Amino acid sequence: MEQVWRQFSHMAIRTAQAISVGLLLCGGAFRANAQVDVVKGKHSFGVSGFTGDAAIAGQVTDVLKNDLRLSGYFSLAPVSSAEYVQSGSVRGDHNGIVVECIVVQQATKNVALSKAYQGSAQDLRRVVHKLSDDIVQTLSGQRGIAQTKIAFVWLHNGAKELAVMDYDGYNVHQLTYDRSISVRPRWSPDGRKIVYTSYKNVFPDVLEVDLYTGQRRRLAAYPGLNTGAVFSPDGLTIALTLSKDGNPELYTMNVQGGDLRRLTHTRAGESSPTWSPDGQAIAYVSDESGVPQIWQIGKDGGTGSRLTVSPSYNTEPDWSRPPANSDMKPMLAVTSRVGGKFQLGVYEKGSGVVTPVAADGADNEDPSWAPDGRHLVFTKTQRWRPQLYLLDVVTGDQVELPAVEGGASEPAWGP
Amino acid sequence: MSQKLLARTILIGFITAVMSTGCHHGNGAGPNASTSGNESAVPGIGPGGEAGISERPAVGLGGLPGVGQFAAVLFDYDSARIRPSEESKLEAVAAYLKANPGKLVVEGHCDERGTAEYNRALGERRAIAARDELVKLGADTSRMSTISYGKDRPADPGHDESAWAKDRRCEFVIVNQ
Repeated sequence: MEQVWRQFSHMAIRTAQAISVGLLLCGGAFRANAQVDVVKGKHSFGVSGFTGDAAIAGQVTDVLKNDLRLSGYFSLAPVSSAEYVQSGSVRGDHNGIVVECIVVQQATKNVALSKAYQGSAQDLRRVVHKLSDDIVQTLSGQRGIAQTKIAFVWLHNGAKELAVMDYDGYNVHQLTYDRSISVRPRWSPDGRKIVYTSYKNVFPDVLEVDLYTGQRRRLAAYPGLNTGAVFSPDGLTIALTLSKDGNPELYTMNVQGGDLRRLTHTRAGESSPTWSPDGQAIAYVSDESGVPQIWQIGKDGGTGSRLTVSPSYNTEPDWSRPPANSDMKPMLAVTSRVGGKFQLGVYEKGSGVVTPVAADGADNEDPSWAPDGRHLVFTKTQRWRPQLYLLDVVTGDQVELPAVEGGASEPAWGP
Repeated sequence: MSQKLLARTILIGFITAVMSTGCHHGNGAGPNASTSGNESAVPGIGPGGEAGISERPAVGLGGLPGVGQFAAVLFDYDSARIRPSEESKLEAVAAYLKANPGKLVVEGHCDERGTAEYNRALGERRAIAARDELVKLGADTSRMSTISYGKDRPADPGHDESAWAKDRRCEFVIVNQ
């Protein structure tokens, strides 16, 4: 267990981690045409570091550089030639640490950002993540992801347990200790709860864990399969897969597990629901055509309509929810199987076709969108060992997250 | 107290809190039963008392073994169709059920060349197909339930066609009432 803990942070996710979408600011020349066709250029950014305590300054600098690199908006460059230059200081006080940071546009000498951040010493990463998001927001007008979390399945001692980590792979903490199979986590929109599929009571049930209190409750325990639970964007409804009426179908229920409604009535199997950003439709997997493809149905049920035609195996859709002011458009990410290998693709509405975004000979599956609608986390399996990677769909850059001992899979990016 | 020791202490306290909410023994709670604080009632039994196709057998927390007492029924790639060559295995299960008490759990499994959640549905369709065949062979529906494990419990940990062929299966497990 020791190897899993790189840095320990307090268990409860603090209310202070409220997500700030931020204001749309002028400046930053990123504009999008459609879908992934966003301007791919990056601004060059020079990090000169922080004066003050050398150890703290070094760690702050490392976290900042990693955040800027992962954001996709910047390429790190020497201070002398960079378009934007950072300087700053760190100091300790009786409350913890204070990080001050200034970012200047070198050509104009304009100060783009000048801010101070305070936190306790063991929250150092979180403090720097806030700074990084502010830099991204200020310079690009887009929402950063540095303060987000990823839930995932940890392959541990022959069991599958849920865990949560910072988006950069640090601060892993285990959520379940059932020595059973706990899989398919999905976040509530407020980031407080995770619904998931658990076999701890032998049968696959949908459970919910409250990340603040640690309380767990069972939301669906019908005969047969209970799985695939996913919150609607307004947080009031959960779509899920149940087989209690004869074969796997889609249902919705309220967040207490009541008001169960059946959406699909087919002889085929339905699974893997994901909500549209406006909460009016659900995309899912059906093998009604003979092979698994992505279909769509209204939130109140009815007749589904098929979305994807090619390649011949598309599953595990995830529908992005970029912020309203974002350069990104809502898209479906899917896992395709081509030539026996899994690859990630994005679905362009109306075309029937899935465009590959991660097809590289490894097995890439289970994409989950970051709340910026630009980054994905997914499972890459090489030599039969699954680990988590990030993908920037604009640049195509993949980044391996720090390896989790035993393996990691089925990630879900938090709000 | 050092940072690390403090952190560990908080961690252990949290683990204890989480674990103490989790234990639930035996049958699910009846309709509208409520527990104080921790795990709430099983809403799966609806207001009409609908128990679906079968009620769940009372099984202890130890869980069911992945390998059943009968020969596993095998499936083609991406398919939930019962091959005629597998019928005799189902006949053996049906014959046992006629002659003996107990309930049957039909497990559905997949190989690793499908994705995780889709495989949970495919595994369930395999289990349902096997169960439906057993009903045709005279077995009582109310004695049977299904569990899909998707690709989470392979029969063979290998990564080749012969291993995968063994993974695509249904297992049959008798549980005592």
